[in-house]
Amino acid sequence: MIRDITIGQYYPSDSIIHKLDPRTKIIATFIYICALFINKYFIGYFATFLFIASIIHISKVPLHFILKGLKAIVVIIILTISINIFFTPGETILVEIWKIRITLEGVILAGLMGIRLILLIIGSSLLTLTTSPISLTDGIEALLKPLEKVNVPAHEIAMMMTIALRFIPILLEETDKIMKAQTARGAEFEEGSIVKRAKSLIPLLVPLFISSFRRAEDLALAMEARCYKGGEGRTKMHQLNYILRDYMTFLISIAYVSMLIIIRLFWGR
Amino acid sequence: MEEMVMGNGLVFEYHVHNDRGEVEDTFRALDGVEVEIKKGEFVAILGRNGSGKSTLAKHVNALLVPKAGTLWVKGMDTKEHDNVWKVRQSAGMVFQNPDNQIIATIVEEDVAFGPENLGVEAGKIRKRVDGALAVVGMTEYARHSPNKLSGGQKQRVAIAGVLAMKPECIVLDEPTAMLDPSGRIEVIETVKQLNKEEGITIILITHFMEEAVQADRVIVMDQGKIEMQGSPKEVFSDVSRLKEIGLDVPQVTEVAYMLKNDGISIDETILTVEEMVDAICRLKSKN
Repeated sequence: MIRDITIGQYYPSDSIIHKLDPRTKIIATFIYICALFINKYFIGYFATFLFIASIIHISKVPLHFILKGLKAIVVIIILTISINIFFTPGETILVEIWKIRITLEGVILAGLMGIRLILLIIGSSLLTLTTSPISLTDGIEALLKPLEKVNVPAHEIAMMMTIALRFIPILLEETDKIMKAQTARGAEFEEGSIVKRAKSLIPLLVPLFISSFRRAEDLALAMEARCYKGGEGRTKMHQLNYILRDYMTFLISIAYVSMLIIIRLFWGR
Repeated sequence: MEEMVMGNGLVFEYHVHNDRGEVEDTFRALDGVEVEIKKGEFVAILGRNGSGKSTLAKHVNALLVPKAGTLWVKGMDTKEHDNVWKVRQSAGMVFQNPDNQIIATIVEEDVAFGPENLGVEAGKIRKRVDGALAVVGMTEYARHSPNKLSGGQKQRVAIAGVLAMKPECIVLDEPTAMLDPSGRIEVIETVKQLNKEEGITIILITHFMEEAVQADRVIVMDQGKIEMQGSPKEVFSDVSRLKEIGLDVPQVTEVAYMLKNDGISIDETILTVEEMVDAICRLKSKN
């Protein structure tokens, strides 16, 4: 069962969104998130909703995949909304019970915050749904590359991500194996109080740590044997190149964010 | 023929540390090893655990350098710091655990890892990767995740990863120890094919006698020293000596040895089942 867990949530397809350069998608997502925070009117969010809906349509990712990402943060959304409803000071009081006041401003703010959060999650999960972990890593490495001049270890970060992606499933499998071995010897993982359950994880974590250190040592040796000497002088089999569709994406993103800036500046008057 | 690997009085010691990190004991893993491996040869190195065979393998790849003595790979002294990367490119290494030597999450990306490190240009890497995968017969898995492959397939990917660096020699450190019988055959067949068709020098560290039998030459190591060497027939005919060292001989060889001891006139140097069948048939027709 543990073997089925996939890392990331990549949904393979051949849409134009999938084919975009990963750098383009990361930058566009970043612009999208900034735009969400620039905007503070319902009309802007409505435009954003139409915008993201059409991207989802083009990307061919089924809707329930996107909604699955939302399920994980339902609690956070509810929390944000209720805090905003109950604790926003305002003039127009809708309901007043004992010391708690619900104001019109609070309801509006709560609504905006909720929508903002939902759109934020949809936008960013669209990035991971349409970009495979490998090209995402490549994209991050390429984007961080200029920062190497100020000592940001771009290549090392990307290499760490790659190795993590490679070893998470292996370590999960190993956890499963150790768990079964311990269960066979009478260990209980799912019973008792929280403290007891946490304690029962120790015989699981210790062998797991030891074996992962051993793996790390083996891997380091194997990498050295294959002439790995850091990012310097290294080439890449897959070169990243911006083509027309990437420039188009940048244009659309810029147009979109300018529209939201204009709405922000002039709508309220 | 030219020498691929040449070692002269190799000595290597491991330190055993105590809790405080002080050196408590030293263990001599290589003790004056003289070794010579020719270009295009297929050599198997046998030995018990702790006999120094893996240590010797790591020397060929310059992962370890000798404390005393000199090791030359293609005439390059492995102790010279400037030679390290060249040595590692010419003498690739495949390790025991297939999972712990695959770096990338996609087969072809992993095969590309070596040439990428060497700074080969993008278009040429593509060609090398495709070529290496074709040689080990893994082309159809190029876009797969290594996690879904069998042990034998993973080892073949690891071999392809080394091949893509265009080495002249491949050192395999117990590549089949963690595999099931079919995976073992898969890997050994690949290795033999590389030796025969691509002319790559093979140094195979193993403790499976059946694999050693297929080599051109067998080197037996014990306690950091080379105890015996020669063709498989020469080495395995000395059954009592091998047993002294703590090694097994192929099952059929042992049967022949026991038959001989019982006074039956049979060739002692039988290594394979086919040879055994032949010998027994000849015996039968004689009587």
